[in-house]
Amino acid sequence: MDAKLARFAFALLITLLYLFLLAPIIVVLVISFDTRQYLAFPPESLSFGSYAKVFANVKFISAFWRSLGIGLFVGLVSIFAGLLLSLALSRHDFRGKGAINFLILAPFLVPHIVLAVGVMLVLGPLGLLDSYSGIFLAHLGITTPYTVRTITMSLMAVDRRIEEAARVHGASPAMVLWRITLPLVRPGLIAGAVIAFLISFDEATISLFIVSVKSSTLPTEIYHYLEYSTDPQIAALSVILILISVGVVVVVERLIGLRKAL
Amino acid sequence: MAAVRHSSSDGSSHRGMLLLLLLPGLLALLTTFLLPLIWLVRASFASSAVAALKGGDWTLESYRTVLYDPFYWKVAWNTLYLGVNVAIFAVALSYPIALFLARTKSRWRGVLTALAVAPLLTSSVVRTYGWMVILGDRGVINAALQSSGLTDGVIRLTNNYFGATVALVEILMPYAILAMLSGFGRLNTQFEEAAALLGANRFRVFTRIILPLSLPGVLTAALLVFVLAISSFVTPRLMGGGRVFVIGTEVYNEATVTLNWPLAAALSVLLLVLFGSVILIYQRAMRALET
Amino acid sequence: MADHHLEIDNLVKTYPGALKPSVDRVSLSLPRGEMLALLGPSGCGKTTILRMIAGLIPVTAGEIRLDGRGISAIPVHKRNMGMVFQAYALFPHMTVAENIGFGLEMRGVGKAERTERVLKALDLVKLSGYGERRVSQLSGGQQQRAAIARSLVIEPALLLFDEPLSNLDAKLRDEMRDEIRDIQNRTGVTSIFVTHDQDEALSMADRLAVMSEGRLEQIGTPRQIFDRPRTDFVASFIGAGSFLTGTVVAPGRADVPGLGILHFTGDVPAGGKARFLVRPHRFVLGEGVNAFSGVVEHVVYRGQILTIAVRAGDHRLQADLPTHAATLPAKGDRVTLSVAPDDVTLVGEAA
Repeated sequence: MDAKLARFAFALLITLLYLFLLAPIIVVLVISFDTRQYLAFPPESLSFGSYAKVFANVKFISAFWRSLGIGLFVGLVSIFAGLLLSLALSRHDFRGKGAINFLILAPFLVPHIVLAVGVMLVLGPLGLLDSYSGIFLAHLGITTPYTVRTITMSLMAVDRRIEEAARVHGASPAMVLWRITLPLVRPGLIAGAVIAFLISFDEATISLFIVSVKSSTLPTEIYHYLEYSTDPQIAALSVILILISVGVVVVVERLIGLRKAL
Repeated sequence: MAAVRHSSSDGSSHRGMLLLLLLPGLLALLTTFLLPLIWLVRASFASSAVAALKGGDWTLESYRTVLYDPFYWKVAWNTLYLGVNVAIFAVALSYPIALFLARTKSRWRGVLTALAVAPLLTSSVVRTYGWMVILGDRGVINAALQSSGLTDGVIRLTNNYFGATVALVEILMPYAILAMLSGFGRLNTQFEEAAALLGANRFRVFTRIILPLSLPGVLTAALLVFVLAISSFVTPRLMGGGRVFVIGTEVYNEATVTLNWPLAAALSVLLLVLFGSVILIYQRAMRALET
Repeated sequence: MADHHLEIDNLVKTYPGALKPSVDRVSLSLPRGEMLALLGPSGCGKTTILRMIAGLIPVTAGEIRLDGRGISAIPVHKRNMGMVFQAYALFPHMTVAENIGFGLEMRGVGKAERTERVLKALDLVKLSGYGERRVSQLSGGQQQRAAIARSLVIEPALLLFDEPLSNLDAKLRDEMRDEIRDIQNRTGVTSIFVTHDQDEALSMADRLAVMSEGRLEQIGTPRQIFDRPRTDFVASFIGAGSFLTGTVVAPGRADVPGLGILHFTGDVPAGGKARFLVRPHRFVLGEGVNAFSGVVEHVVYRGQILTIAVRAGDHRLQADLPTHAATLPAKGDRVTLSVAPDDVTLVGEAA
């Protein structure tokens, strides 16, 4: 076989696969500038009409702010709980550590739809269905394993001798944490918070089971809208969501590298 | 923190500190993960929606419904069929990308890796919408086919299993790529060079060196994609337009439309059992590969 | 010695689950201002001792006393120790000056005084002008100096070094060796340094404590350790040499099977068995009191010296000969090696 030809064929294959992988995002981007009212491709003429409509849509805008607020709160609480758990797991030896490690990993193994039914059944009797606290709790459960993982990885990367050096030279345990450990794991903390935010912000499965009108999030609003219509307004909205994702990707990649975080 | 690690003199304050560290996270996991699972199992044995919430009675009614109704057998079959198809295609399409990323020495490697993995962080609702645009009756593919004169009418690419499969393949590919990249750690160009020096041609290098070494990564990727596919519901629901029936869509339907919570819970438990068995099989297979 | 600054008394460390103690009943003491080297192969427990003194790991049994007071119950951060870590363990997110000032800051020293003392410390380790640099902008040797300054600035009770030179390349290592000794002399701080490198220990320390498998084998001045090793382990770990075992037939005379009569100085009662060591450089070419002839089996030319291995009877003797002689022995030559009785080291009585 001609080596040059083989290399070219492989490069072509890779390009096509990347194109497939990115196709929905590219298409959404293009169609968001379409002027027509219905879904069609390619666009006839370009405009920001769809974006204007999104910004005028009270339902979407209020859902956006709700999702943003919930996401930020989930991100913050999740790194707080995650940091404490990670510190316990990476800096202490105790009985039951294995069980806790498993408990943290387990949510990765349970499908969200299964969790969704369970969360719905737990929140129901508590009167927390369609409430902010309900969504917050549900999202906290699925994001905390991620934050524990990113923070634990950052903690493990910190050379223990550096903490020891601080202790020997007079820093109390609290001071070591505040002046040495926390500054050194800050990238992991931020990456964890950002990922937790995004998971909450994009989460649709569990949310669909536990929200209705009052606490609808942006993904659930889009889902319900898409059940009846696929007009370019959704494309504009999607582009906004994609941009937020891109921002998160860049931040995480800069801080700790995307592959480590996922 | 670390100061108290081994010290025996202040064991009680050590324990107090540890409890303080563990409490918030464990509480969060308990209320948002463990408790829901227990409630779910309990609800699957309840006789009515009210009982599912309040607890009380135990009955196998919901499981009987699932096991005796041919519709649910059909649903289970659809789910498995979808899962296997998605897993095969996602893995087949991800393999070249992962192989390329693992072996390239290009300075764009970081960017290309991010590009391949980043879709994970975009909402699956958004990407499903993208596929609705591409495969829709007046979408990219149909428009292209018609304007080129290849077809007159509309080719149905959405509101069916085909559409759901294509969208899921693309949506789950980043997971497959990520899993393979981690699994390809053992792949080392030195092996290939050594094999080539020993006289193996490109094809033999691939079949005898690269493929066997990358098999564990491929297996992990296949498992991951399969379990994610059989538990998905947003994509099958939207791409299927109500004509695709898989466990995920039925769970959602029972939970939010019919409000038959015991049945939704029973279906979820069955999905969980299916999950568990697939993971067990995977572990066996991995152990077999290692020895 | 009366004024023992640091006393270690029957110190034991057993890690949970371990069968053997990592440190087994070690006792030693340091007068103020001394520099002691803890020398031994990796895993001999020397670093464990250092970490127990620093307070980084708890003591299983025994006592560590500083100026007569037990310190085992004092938490690490209140012990006032200085410690230079193997890879320096500088705080990567701080400047050099912030690193050095860290200990003072923890002690509540005001900003003005801190700045002044940091500058002095920088000067002491010849890093003046480097205060505002990031740690990552320093070379290995400079990081080493910064780490020393960080430990010295707090005026520690003891200065502990954990393999301080092992991360440096050979040339820099020699330079830092002198530097560390010089700084220690000027500040007069009582110091302990852990090393597995015998050259480092011999050239830097006032005294050496040689350890093996958790036990203290011998403690003494470099000269005592090198010339009068008391155990086989010390003799073989530090420097090379030929070991000979013999039965003492008369005062100062032993019969070494397969070699002959060996004259030595030292009293071992007749009839007892004894172990002897002859350092390679103690052998001379030619006849003498203890003369053994044999065939040269192996020759290595090392510039200033020629190392030869001679098969004499059942023994293989190693000798370092000066290379300024007109003719040097070659492989296969028959030569006679001799050693003065004073140069035969009595290692111990054998069983």
